[in-house]
Amino acid sequence: MEFKRAIRGILVIVVLSILLAAAVHFPLLRRFAAGEFREGFLDRREYSGIRFITLAEAEDLFNRRMGGEEGLLFIDSRSREEFSAGHIPGALPVPLEELKRPGSPEAGPESSLPLAFPGAQTLVVYCEGGDCRTSLALAKIIHDRGYTDIRVFAGGWLEWNAAGLPESRQQ
Amino acid sequence: MTPRRRLLLLFRVIVGGVFVWAGGLKIIDPLGFAQSIENYQVVSPELAFLAALVLPWVEFLSGAFLILGVLLRSSALLISLQLVGFIGLVASALARGIDTTCGCFGSLSRRADLTLILTDAVLFVLVLIVFFARPAQRSH
Repeated sequence: MEFKRAIRGILVIVVLSILLAAAVHFPLLRRFAAGEFREGFLDRREYSGIRFITLAEAEDLFNRRMGGEEGLLFIDSRSREEFSAGHIPGALPVPLEELKRPGSPEAGPESSLPLAFPGAQTLVVYCEGGDCRTSLALAKIIHDRGYTDIRVFAGGWLEWNAAGLPESRQQ
Repeated sequence: MTPRRRLLLLFRVIVGGVFVWAGGLKIIDPLGFAQSIENYQVVSPELAFLAALVLPWVEFLSGAFLILGVLLRSSALLISLQLVGFIGLVASALARGIDTTCGCFGSLSRRADLTLILTDAVLFVLVLIVFFARPAQRSH
């Protein structure tokens, strides 16, 4: 009897929570119903300059860069070890783990990593691929620094490497 | 109020306070929390999104009710269930070698590790004590 009453109370709390969530986050729910937030949790209004690209688009941008097009830069958000083991030729290593301190969304002034990319307008950010999240996290930080054309190559290094595309092993 | 009651109230404020704080931080950043759930790689993005909207309110309300003494045993039981869930989730992430922040306190979250499991276990013990405590006799 006691236990039943406790369960009934739990149901009350859960129903209240659903109602409050629906009321408070109604605008987000509407956007979800319209098809947003199915693949990632990027707020497209807040981060209008970030978009996801496929392997084909990444390859196209890479070829344009190799063809001498200015203003294009690939950024590798993985660790330095992973970068050294193989990366997209010409990519700049910006390991997110060095940028972030535990418990803080962004590094303080002690971070020596560059977050300004002179001459670059289009930034292609990638990480390992699969379920890696560092590319998107880094893209958000870069976006906050004022860059407005950031492409996140979600397939990342794994997809690039599996497709047999050029790789570099130098630092 | 007897010393025993005072101690129980202290437990309620500690555990409830943690849940109100943790829930509140997530309520103001639902997309960030959705990403944290997604990082554990156990549910689909759609489910992670919906859970990120509702779960923080469950945390917040059960914490607030525990402190206020509203639906006391229900909130204690609900909090203990949530803690079991958190411990299981972090343990499974550790077992699968997933390196992630716990997502417990929004952007203030720390790494999902053993000390986190221990903290949750302590809170679990405290809330079980509250749950099994006999209700105070009302004086008429």
